Amino acid sequence: MFDHIECFYRPSTLREALVLLHKTGKRGAIVAGATDIVTRADRTPRFFIDVTHLGLDYVRKKGRGCTIGAATTMMGLEKSPIINRLAGGILAKAAATCGSIQNRNMATVGGNLANASPAADTAPVLLALDAQLVAVNSRRKRRIPLDEFYTGPHRTVLNGELIEEILIPPLPGGRSGWSFQKLGRTETDISLVNAAAGLQADSRGRIKWVHIALGAVGPMPLRAREAENLLQGNALSEDSITRAGGAVMNQVSPISDGRASAEYRREMSRILVQRALRECAVQAGFPIMN
Amino acid sequence: MLVTVNINGEAKRLNIAPGELLLDALRSAGYFGVKRGCETGECGACTVLVNEKPVNSCLMFAAQAEDADILTIEGVAPDGKLDPIQTAFLDHGAVQCGYCTPGMILSAKALLAGRPDPTEGEVREALAGNFCRCTGYLKPVEAVLAAAQVYRQAGQSARRKSGRSLGTSRKKR
Repeated sequence: MFDHIECFYRPSTLREALVLLHKTGKRGAIVAGATDIVTRADRTPRFFIDVTHLGLDYVRKKGRGCTIGAATTMMGLEKSPIINRLAGGILAKAAATCGSIQNRNMATVGGNLANASPAADTAPVLLALDAQLVAVNSRRKRRIPLDEFYTGPHRTVLNGELIEEILIPPLPGGRSGWSFQKLGRTETDISLVNAAAGLQADSRGRIKWVHIALGAVGPMPLRAREAENLLQGNALSEDSITRAGGAVMNQVSPISDGRASAEYRREMSRILVQRALRECAVQAGFPIMN
Repeated sequence: MLVTVNINGEAKRLNIAPGELLLDALRSAGYFGVKRGCETGECGACTVLVNEKPVNSCLMFAAQAEDADILTIEGVAPDGKLDPIQTAFLDHGAVQCGYCTPGMILSAKALLAGRPDPTEGEVREALAGNFCRCTGYLKPVEAVLAAAQVYRQAGQSARRKSGRSLGTSRKKR
């Protein structure tokens, strides 16, 4: 299947990898867990550059946030005590749904983002957590908010760059709650719809901070900003949860495919966001008014 | 290109094409217990343990296996003495056509190496990446649970032995 590949590079430093990436240009492709690149079977690359030996497999705590090496596997996230403690462990939960154990032992978080599948399970969580990507090439290093990373299905702003790490900023503490929701044929199947939410209440029981993100309901994972704006500054009530769900349904633009119809996905985007908000409220000890 | 790998405890040098998949490289080297199934990482028939972790060899490039410890089904009973998991699969009628069996046994082996007393749920999760198209999963799940009991009864010595056959001599990276 890949008999047109001329060379498989296994650099052992980031510097070396970036030089190779620069030299091979459009004919070079980055390989990490390989799970997406093999199944996609794109015949353009002539050179593969393996980035799994660059020391990019790590999770480091940084105050109330953390830094994740792009080559950390899904299994690595699932098992990381730091990731399990961060934001109610929603990133660990999402990683644990990214395919079978065999897939999760290979697939990396950087790859899950760079592949830019609209249904990627780590994407809505990292969007809800305000993640930034550190992208590097041989000339420069830049930070890209995940929210500005996607340009379409399987398209990103990366331009001859590789993702070095993922930065999760300090997250709200105190009375906060977090949720990851996924709807799939099975727990580890590709998501029909996925969603993540986090919220923080102030001392008067009003929402001080709220982030909601969804996947598989548009060309790219998205933040549900209209719903967030509706909720921000108000108490959480049955009515506001209903209105937030309505706002999400208006914002999403799902497609119909073999897995689900657009109508079903739209309806489920509402259901998942409402479930997520309720789970967040319970965790935050935040009453839902009638 | 040449890659050096440790397969079932033996150092091997494989002559591979740069874009060759591990599945093809292993089968070319005579490890036919590694089955070609869906070739998209869904069915798990090609499962091998790489550094003790189950992976789909159809989704991994052979070049990525450089210096790795690989366990295929051929290495599970190297001296002809069946692993308790294999015995349990036979005893419980968990083998039908047998195509999924190597992958299931390797997934089970990785599970029991880390979790000698798994729940049924954990066994089902461990086997979730191994599809059986004959009938189903009840017998394999029962077999793995029974094998776990054998492992536990054999105690430390069985665990030490399974550790050896998984290749504890691997290089730290």
